[in-house]
Amino acid sequence: MTSTAGGAATAAFWICGLQQLALDALWYIDPDAGIDGVWDNALASEPPIYNDDFTQMTVKLREGIYWSDGVEFTADDLYYTVDLLKNTPGMSNHGLFDGSIDHLEQPDRNTVVFYLKAPNSRFHAAFTVRWGAQYIMPKHIFEQVEDPVAFKYNPPVSLGAYTLRDFDPNGKWYLWERREDWQRTSVARLGEVSVKYVMYIDPGPSDKRVIAQIAHELDVIHDITPEGRITLARESPSSVGWFPSFPWAHPDPTLPAIIYNNERPGLDKKEVRWALTLAIDIAQVALASYKGAATISAIHVPPTGMYPQYYHEPLEPWLNDFTIQVGGQDYKPYDPTAAQRIADLARESLGDLVPTDPDTIKQYIGAGWWKYDLDAAEQLMLDAGMQKIDGKWALPDGSPFSVPLMSLGESNPTMNRAAAMVVENWAAFGIDTTLDAQANLWPIMDAGEYAAALAWTIETWGGHPDLFFFLNSWHSRFYVPSGQPDMGSNSMRWQNADLDRIIDTMQRISFDDPQGIELGQEYCKLAVQEMPITPLMAYNVFTTMDTTYFTGYPSIDDPYTNPVPNWGNTKYMFVKVKPREA
Amino acid sequence: MRRFVLRYLIPRITQYLTIIFVGVTVTFVIPRLSPTDPVEAQISTITARGSTLDPQSIESMRVALTELYGLSGSPVEQYFAFWGRLLRGDLGPSLSNFPTPVSELIGQALPYTLGLLVPALIISWTMGNLLGAMSSYYPKNRPLNAIEVLGQVVRPIPYYIVALVLLVVFGYFVPIFPFSGAYPIGTHPNWSIEFILTYIYHAVLPAATLVLVGFGGWFVGMKSLTSNIISEDYVEFAETAGLKKNKILFSYIIRTALLPQLTGLAMTLGTVFSGALIMEVVFGYPGLGSLTIRAIYSNDYSMIMGITIYSIIGVATAVFLMDLLYPLFDPRVRYQ
Repeated sequence: MTSTAGGAATAAFWICGLQQLALDALWYIDPDAGIDGVWDNALASEPPIYNDDFTQMTVKLREGIYWSDGVEFTADDLYYTVDLLKNTPGMSNHGLFDGSIDHLEQPDRNTVVFYLKAPNSRFHAAFTVRWGAQYIMPKHIFEQVEDPVAFKYNPPVSLGAYTLRDFDPNGKWYLWERREDWQRTSVARLGEVSVKYVMYIDPGPSDKRVIAQIAHELDVIHDITPEGRITLARESPSSVGWFPSFPWAHPDPTLPAIIYNNERPGLDKKEVRWALTLAIDIAQVALASYKGAATISAIHVPPTGMYPQYYHEPLEPWLNDFTIQVGGQDYKPYDPTAAQRIADLARESLGDLVPTDPDTIKQYIGAGWWKYDLDAAEQLMLDAGMQKIDGKWALPDGSPFSVPLMSLGESNPTMNRAAAMVVENWAAFGIDTTLDAQANLWPIMDAGEYAAALAWTIETWGGHPDLFFFLNSWHSRFYVPSGQPDMGSNSMRWQNADLDRIIDTMQRISFDDPQGIELGQEYCKLAVQEMPITPLMAYNVFTTMDTTYFTGYPSIDDPYTNPVPNWGNTKYMFVKVKPREA
Repeated sequence: MRRFVLRYLIPRITQYLTIIFVGVTVTFVIPRLSPTDPVEAQISTITARGSTLDPQSIESMRVALTELYGLSGSPVEQYFAFWGRLLRGDLGPSLSNFPTPVSELIGQALPYTLGLLVPALIISWTMGNLLGAMSSYYPKNRPLNAIEVLGQVVRPIPYYIVALVLLVVFGYFVPIFPFSGAYPIGTHPNWSIEFILTYIYHAVLPAATLVLVGFGGWFVGMKSLTSNIISEDYVEFAETAGLKKNKILFSYIIRTALLPQLTGLAMTLGTVFSGALIMEVVFGYPGLGSLTIRAIYSNDYSMIMGITIYSIIGVATAVFLMDLLYPLFDPRVRYQ
């Protein structure tokens, strides 16, 4: 089986198969539905056990798991991993472990108890894979190493169902072979690992990936351009995606959005942020970026995995009735027909590839979004005291109001095209704006040296409703003013007392407490009211799978995991994907 | 000889070392003047890649990366430490492929870039100069005129357009050449005849693109240089004296016109370190260009600095060697 890797001289662990096939963690949360539910006890035999005040976390480990060199996996490995990282600056999670863990105990060969310095009901998140997490290291290998930070760990000793058979020193391919004893790994209880060899390759840019799959030389494509996906839909009947038809792509549990610096004059007013939102035509943005193959979201969580059921559908009635004040009058900004408009426009160029059934459109493209209403946007600007001078909006004191929109440049042309359309929309509304494409906008955002950016700052579990995952660093105690690097994902510098209360309450309840969904919905409502960022759409990845030689790929009809190859969770594909019988 | 060493060799060695010193110093200074902090860039890259890190982890990582990147201490201390590592041949670890040393990654990539660009450049330089001079000396030769038209037509077309056209035509519609890579997926680079032939087979399209686009420039340059020379007295005298045409062409015309073209060749050879970006991306070549692009996208500052330093040394060395070779081609330099 061949799958695309990102390609690197010595590939990072997420693009060469290492985190998918050889590493293993205590728990996994699937970004979609999971094979046997969203939560999977992988190396652990059961979920984390907390004491009443969340200052102790006990981990019970599964028995009968072996490293690929025949050594049994035990609590020694977990204890060693955490202890090493806690005491070794420069290793990942050193800060978290050193700052959070008072000490560890290992009462028996399958149990480790974490004694925490402060209550933390989400401490297990560090060991729970959603894309990646803290993987467990083999004590018997690393304890013999003089400098573990500089240790290359090549070849890796595997806890997964595969071992590294061979690789290209230039990073063009990595060949993995199924372990003879794959039954002694954590995925074996979920089914037979049938694929004997897996190769992660770097086939080059989108056009070459398309050509390779048409020639049946590439089983799984990580991502391609929307145009490339349309070509495969027309030219390669054996190529399938997450959705069986338009928009095909897998929506990652990440939310591309317009992120405002909430400290900039003008942008510090919610009326202005709302005006900028109502000056965006989401249908045009979806067409410009994904050729319409986008899954939109009006609220501040991605419309993916289980989230439509946790958040989007329950909040739909509230969104329909939601009002903001425009010119002293109640105004309903929600447009429940937005996805239908996108489908209608996409159908003009793609014809029958675009579904017509309203329920299918809602599932595939999303529900509603915010109205494109320049009159309401204009009134909101005036309500905020903004002035329109010579057709351009200015601050209340008449000084220029400029909102250049940063975007990812060539590294992400889809997002860049979305940003270009937003700039066009805003310019038509009289905003002084330009497209500011950056090779790497993240440090600029972290430093708060920007007005607006089309990027993402909301990453969710996808399968589990808990939003503490990303909200943690939005608490005002981690606030850092513009000009200094922030300490998490609150690059928009949003501070809100109600948000702090929601986050604090989340932290006090357990991870699976049903109140978590209520708090999550409360956050969604607050974010809509304040609009610190304008949500746009899911981060759609055009992962495309060829069914010529293999079947059983995940899809919207069998959403057992995320198929995007760089995710650690794709290890579950290898118990469901089967060679096609000749 | 003493005069040559004192008045020619030593000034050029001094110039060579000064260029490298200034270039390396600028390479050290520029990233530190950039508004983007490499530590913050690396943290941002990690957090933007699907990992939501705890604020405590971020703060700890900030401290660790500052130490790791050699950014602790005053700028002067960093500068001397930088030179100390450089003189030991240590460019530090790659930040995106930690802990693999930068020099090891460059060492893996460089042969592919040199193996493709240097032969292609020499072929296009030789063809362009030879045919350009012949076209000037034999203005009524139809095949040469046709080649000139071809060179003039292809020359202004952006490199990547020619590359994509060749790829689509010979990699997809008439699939006689591979459309990606320097060797097939699943094979290991080695010195066997079989692998070398495979390597050459994979190099045909990118090399053909380089030759096609490059030779026109050399052709026009040489034709322009020689068009004045052929009317010089000493050429007319040689013709009157009955020397053979080939003798006049090679010994009197090309040799005289070659000097600026040799300088151009040296400069271009030096820039192969940084000039392969588009070619390697289009053809999926695992060379220095691909390495540079990935380093840029992953904020691998130590890699970018390493490649820049190699490039500075490459250009400076090429120019230095050409300076040393000048006296062999030009008696005036030898005389001075």
